[in-house]
Amino acid sequence: MESDLTHKYIELNMGPQHPSTHGVLRLKLTLDGETVKKVEPVIGYLHRNAEKICELDFYCDALIYFDRMDYVGAMNMEVGYLEAAEKLLNIEPPERVKWIRVIMAELNRIASHLVWAGAFGLDLGMLTPFFYVFEEREKVLNLFTEICGSRQETNYMSIGGVYQDFNDKIIYRIKEFLDEFPKKLEEIYNLFVKNDVFISRTKNIGILEPEVALSYGVTGPMLRASGVPYDVRKDEPYLVYDKVNFTVPISRKKDVLARFIVRFEEMRQSVKIVKQALEKLPDGPYFNPKARKSLMIRLRGEGDVFARTESTKGEFGVYIVGDGSVKPYRVHVRSPAFKNLSVLPYLSRDVLIADMVAISGSIDLVFGEVDR
Amino acid sequence: MNLLTRIATILSFLGHYPAYILAYIIETLIVIIFATVVVAGMVYFFRKYMARVQMRIGPNRVGKFGILQVMADGLKLIQKESIMPQGRDDLPYKVAPLIIFIALIMGFIFIPYGPLAWLGTLTVTHSDVSLVILFALIAIMPIGELLSGIVSNNKYAVLGSLRGVAKDVSFEVPMMLSVLAIVMMASARNASPLDLNGIVQAQNIPFAILEPLGFFVFLISMAARASYSPFDMGESDSELVTGNTTEYSGLRFGMFYLGLFGTIFLGSMILSTLYLGGYNGPFVNYVGFIWLLIKTLVIVVISLTIWLSMPRVRIDKFVSFGWKYLLPISFINLVLTGFLVLGGIS
Amino acid sequence: MISLVYEIKEETGKDGRKVYRIDREHLLELMGDLKKEGYDHLSLISSVDFRDRIEVVYHLEKSSDNFSIIVVKTETRDTHVPSVTSLWESANWDEREQYDMMGIIFDGHPDLRRILLPEGWIGYPLRKDYDMSKVQYVNMDEEGNDYVSFDPGDGW
Repeated sequence: MESDLTHKYIELNMGPQHPSTHGVLRLKLTLDGETVKKVEPVIGYLHRNAEKICELDFYCDALIYFDRMDYVGAMNMEVGYLEAAEKLLNIEPPERVKWIRVIMAELNRIASHLVWAGAFGLDLGMLTPFFYVFEEREKVLNLFTEICGSRQETNYMSIGGVYQDFNDKIIYRIKEFLDEFPKKLEEIYNLFVKNDVFISRTKNIGILEPEVALSYGVTGPMLRASGVPYDVRKDEPYLVYDKVNFTVPISRKKDVLARFIVRFEEMRQSVKIVKQALEKLPDGPYFNPKARKSLMIRLRGEGDVFARTESTKGEFGVYIVGDGSVKPYRVHVRSPAFKNLSVLPYLSRDVLIADMVAISGSIDLVFGEVDR
Repeated sequence: MNLLTRIATILSFLGHYPAYILAYIIETLIVIIFATVVVAGMVYFFRKYMARVQMRIGPNRVGKFGILQVMADGLKLIQKESIMPQGRDDLPYKVAPLIIFIALIMGFIFIPYGPLAWLGTLTVTHSDVSLVILFALIAIMPIGELLSGIVSNNKYAVLGSLRGVAKDVSFEVPMMLSVLAIVMMASARNASPLDLNGIVQAQNIPFAILEPLGFFVFLISMAARASYSPFDMGESDSELVTGNTTEYSGLRFGMFYLGLFGTIFLGSMILSTLYLGGYNGPFVNYVGFIWLLIKTLVIVVISLTIWLSMPRVRIDKFVSFGWKYLLPISFINLVLTGFLVLGGIS
Repeated sequence: MISLVYEIKEETGKDGRKVYRIDREHLLELMGDLKKEGYDHLSLISSVDFRDRIEVVYHLEKSSDNFSIIVVKTETRDTHVPSVTSLWESANWDEREQYDMMGIIFDGHPDLRRILLPEGWIGYPLRKDYDMSKVQYVNMDEEGNDYVSFDPGDGW
């Protein structure tokens, strides 16, 4: 801080081991009593340099490192990487695979937003909704276990296809889940928004103007809560998002509560998307024969490709450069949570510690992704 | 005849003074055991209740239905190495949890427990000013909170204890004002209005009905003092790790933990004594104590439900609520009580 | 549209995106013009090490036009590139990341420090000549600051 002798500021290190920093975020706070004067996020405690590891492996092997980036929304990470890799390697997945990927990505979006809601409640000191939320999330993860044998880091998709096809039983189970989920979702939603204390803790807190948000590179539900209707699924449709009918929820309130409501509305839209996708799911092969298992390690790519997808946190971009060999020459990941976190110092000027915790909770941080 | 004199009568073969001294010791032991058992039972009940609310099972491994879980936790805390921070102020650091714990246990002495079957009245000690002593003991507890935070050489702890004390002080005033209204009511019918037993006996109609405003103020102030979850800004775990108890571990942490639950129970007991008629009820000479317990448990369940269903209130909003709304309300309550007493309604 | 006081090479990338190639002296002017044209969202800054030169790639998005992307590429041989933090706030952390990983020095950056790796890390991991066989150890000194060395030290 500037040399202000009349005040004594407290320097406080919040994290990396702290209950409300969702992993390993460290915040250097400068406090004037209870008021936060300055925040400096320090990141990198979970840094594994996945980008370098990707350069050492075949194109198909890089996928598992993407699972471990946003481990709460792993399916969306896989979609993001494969969008780029398939463009670079000139492999078009069959139609059925595209629909299956949409279903998985949207189910995972539901799971990820649910986890966020639970963790956000914990940040505000609500313990009870956490369990209601995780009960529902567990159902999604059970579906994943049945489809691909793994809960979180699924490694389900592969270049040009998916690991296993859907069968009738799985489709029935997903439909069963979709039938009862909206009711539960409303129950969870009411647990939060019908609580006056929750409203008073979130309303008009952490206001983010759209121009500032764009300048800081904020994307995803945070940007949409500021009133900018940017959703890659609409603006540059990938997979088959142009063939399903859904709306992009936005809010003009710009505060923490708006981010909460936007995320819940997105879950409702995801339910809608999955329902449509299950109806439209075509028959056909579940992998591209050009990328079957024996050929997968011989795929060569040249040139550079940037593909963006809408992950659960925002615009997830993958930039791959190939040099004509079987390994990528350079992989760079645009991590939405990394960019969203960079706006935290701006949002937390002159707020109370309690509000700063609410704001940092509303960003939806997953440190596997921020640090990569 | 209270418990003390009865024990002294039994021991009277030892002579007058030895009998009384021994009776005091026995009585203190009884109170300590009672308080500990009650608080342990409450922790168990809380965990089961919380599990029920959150669709979980709760403790079910140690003993039948997990009844011994609290005992196991206590044993674990006693065994644990007490890790103390560097740069602490040693004596206050060690005294702080004791202040809270001892003040809590002593608070249990002055509650009028009422009669139970052939045991007669269970009230431990009679005093003409037991109300004053009780609230003095309660007012000591923030000192322990403040000390524990300031001397443990931790910024979280300092912030937490400052928050906690700011909250405690701002709710002390409305609480005492509403107690003053109680004393006014009791003085209209009773020779010794500062005696808790007298206050209970004055309540043909529970005071909660006669002065609902005071009941409301006291309920909120008591919740603020007990500092359970929506009001636990002092140790808000998502902001300040655990506030003033951050640097405590082992048995000393256990004392703070018991202090939290004990304050909820003691506060509920005081509330039911002052406002809900204490041990009054049908067949008061046989089951008075049971009535008190039932009333206390109802208040405890209400408190726990608030605990489990609310997010944490922000400290500045809560403190300003205390000064801006609760204080005027308690003054209005005082004036209304004055009318009640003058009008002879009470 | 863009005033031609500088020379840009326009091409189409493999993914069908419009690519501008520019030498780094005129990068800031081009970026300023693009910002004025409505490209208000800097999606990411990445860089590729081609051993003899480093290519810096900017992806810009235009919010008024469905966030359509334009790619700007520039290259440097002595690791110096002008910073664009004056135009987009998001360039701040992006450039720090590229400095951290690739060792590009962004001239004019207000606070060019490592962001993911601890201060004092030796080498830039995403360079092609980075020696991965050497293990570096991060320890803490008396003041609580990290320092890095090849020697394991006490902490390990």
